[in-house]
Amino acid sequence: MKTIHIFLIFTVVAAIQLVVPSLMIFNKETVLKKGAAYRFKTQPIDPSDPFRGKYITLNYEVSTYNTKDSLWQQNEDIYVYVGTDSLDFAQVDTISKVLIPNKHQDYIKAKVGWYSKYNNNLQIDFPFDRYYMEETKAYAAEVAVRDRQRDTIPNDTYALVFVKNGEAVLNDVIIDDMSIKDYVEQGSMK
Amino acid sequence: MNSKIQKDVSELLEAQVISKETALKIEGYYLSKNANTTNRLFTIFAVLGSMLVGLGMILILAHNWDSFSRTVKTVFAFAPLVVGQIIAGYSILKKKSKTWKEASGVFLFFAVGASMALVSQIYNLPGDLSHYLLTWIVLCLPLVYLLRSNTLVILQIVFITSYACHFGYFSGSKTPWLYLVLFACLMPFYFRLLKQKRTQHITTVLNWLVPLSVIIVIGTFVKGDGNISFLIYVLLFGLLYNVAKTPYFNNLKLRQNGFLVLGSLGTVYMLLLTTFDWLWNSVFIENPNFNSQSFFIASILFCLALTILVYTQVKKETQKFNLFQYAFVFFTIFFAISFFSAHTTIILINLLILILGIIVVKIGVDTLHFGVLNYGLLIITALITCRFFDTNISFVIRGLLFVAVGAGFFLTNYIMLKKRKTIKS
Repeated sequence: MKTIHIFLIFTVVAAIQLVVPSLMIFNKETVLKKGAAYRFKTQPIDPSDPFRGKYITLNYEVSTYNTKDSLWQQNEDIYVYVGTDSLDFAQVDTISKVLIPNKHQDYIKAKVGWYSKYNNNLQIDFPFDRYYMEETKAYAAEVAVRDRQRDTIPNDTYALVFVKNGEAVLNDVIIDDMSIKDYVEQGSMK
Repeated sequence: MNSKIQKDVSELLEAQVISKETALKIEGYYLSKNANTTNRLFTIFAVLGSMLVGLGMILILAHNWDSFSRTVKTVFAFAPLVVGQIIAGYSILKKKSKTWKEASGVFLFFAVGASMALVSQIYNLPGDLSHYLLTWIVLCLPLVYLLRSNTLVILQIVFITSYACHFGYFSGSKTPWLYLVLFACLMPFYFRLLKQKRTQHITTVLNWLVPLSVIIVIGTFVKGDGNISFLIYVLLFGLLYNVAKTPYFNNLKLRQNGFLVLGSLGTVYMLLLTTFDWLWNSVFIENPNFNSQSFFIASILFCLALTILVYTQVKKETQKFNLFQYAFVFFTIFFAISFFSAHTTIILINLLILILGIIVVKIGVDTLHFGVLNYGLLIITALITCRFFDTNISFVIRGLLFVAVGAGFFLTNYIMLKKRKTIKS
């Protein structure tokens, strides 16, 4: 093969290498700019990823959904229709295996975690269970939230998630009305 | 050039053993040889350098710098990628040396990973390491062929193995079918090396890496019937051993032929494992499910191994009958017999190992190879040791058996040493 042909194919490969992360960014930016914001009550714990660094895993209060329908398969795609409760926190309204026609409500494309026949609870795996943090802050964040929950004040730690056409982007984790990053920073300065 | 060679050449020239012309030719030969060694060393250091820089870049980005805005982070995500692409593109266009291509390829490989990792961090993309690895691998796969990079093919094999393990073993019981596609995509590169650079170091590395990758990943394909997994592993090792006997590998040195070593050791290990009574009584309690994915995989492996076995026999690659090549066929028959009588199967497998051991000892003696001789003796010793656990032979007989085997080790080695000395003298 001639060098120029190899170079042309390389240019295509290089373009694809640039397009893939760009598309990821574009999709997420669209959701952040045009999507609706929801507040998901949460509890963080801190694991790490070999390539992407430290993050906190978010366990959501609404990830357990009570339903009599027991025909759920692990990792099956589901559509979670969300609304808000009286305190303006996100709540799950309906879960469906297919998109419900003419239902004009925000939904999130998620996966089935597992179904417990014992208490009829369906565990939902939301596609926004990771919040990346600076490596020194992740564990401190977990400790801060745990300490905060020991107080008598009810849990008001929540994830700010933007939702649009089934896509969801986790924008921030809020504790005491401030970003968890600032909360941890403030705590370490005290 | 080595000063000793220079000294020898001038000595030979003075003694008029060689002409001035020959002396110049010898000097020229060693000079060109030295230049090649320097180039290879330089390539190795360049690759190591790029790899360390690339990995360092990923680690620095993994710190997750909070103080940078989203835009700054996005620029950081693309900067190494673009730099890597420019250097790699320049290497191709200007037909730069192997060192350039290897180093730029490795740097670009890690830049792609770093870029995707940073985008994941910025937008808090969900977990699933296997999905992240898969995208990374696919985006860099064409680089192997475009840059003809040996290091990239090694990295790709390591990464596809890692992807398959994450997908199949660690994140649920899914089958990584895409591993097969990615593996097949890398094979033309490997075949080209086998044809053109059979004895080079890179081919030797791949001769070990390729079978190791398959051995590690095969467990993820065992679905539906765990009982057949033993058969699958025996068939896989049989396949590897038979591949080692094809024209591409047959005359390679032992250390260059990973297929042969892993196939042989794996076959012996699996056969020894299946000689235990408890295994057939506790594991194989149910009849196998012939409609399972495991059975399908076992059938494919059997057909592949049998095809290669027939091919080697037709090509007459191996002059003598080699029982190791047929071990998987015998085991499959014994496995089928186990549905009627597990006891008969155990006896037959014991016999098979014993015969294999004796054959290896004979090959060792015939070829005067101490390594092969002792490998054969080790197989027999391992078989006897295993039988100590599930037979009720008296301690005296067991002791005598061990003494006999020990004496056998000593005697055979001693006799062969003498034979070798006689032949030499």
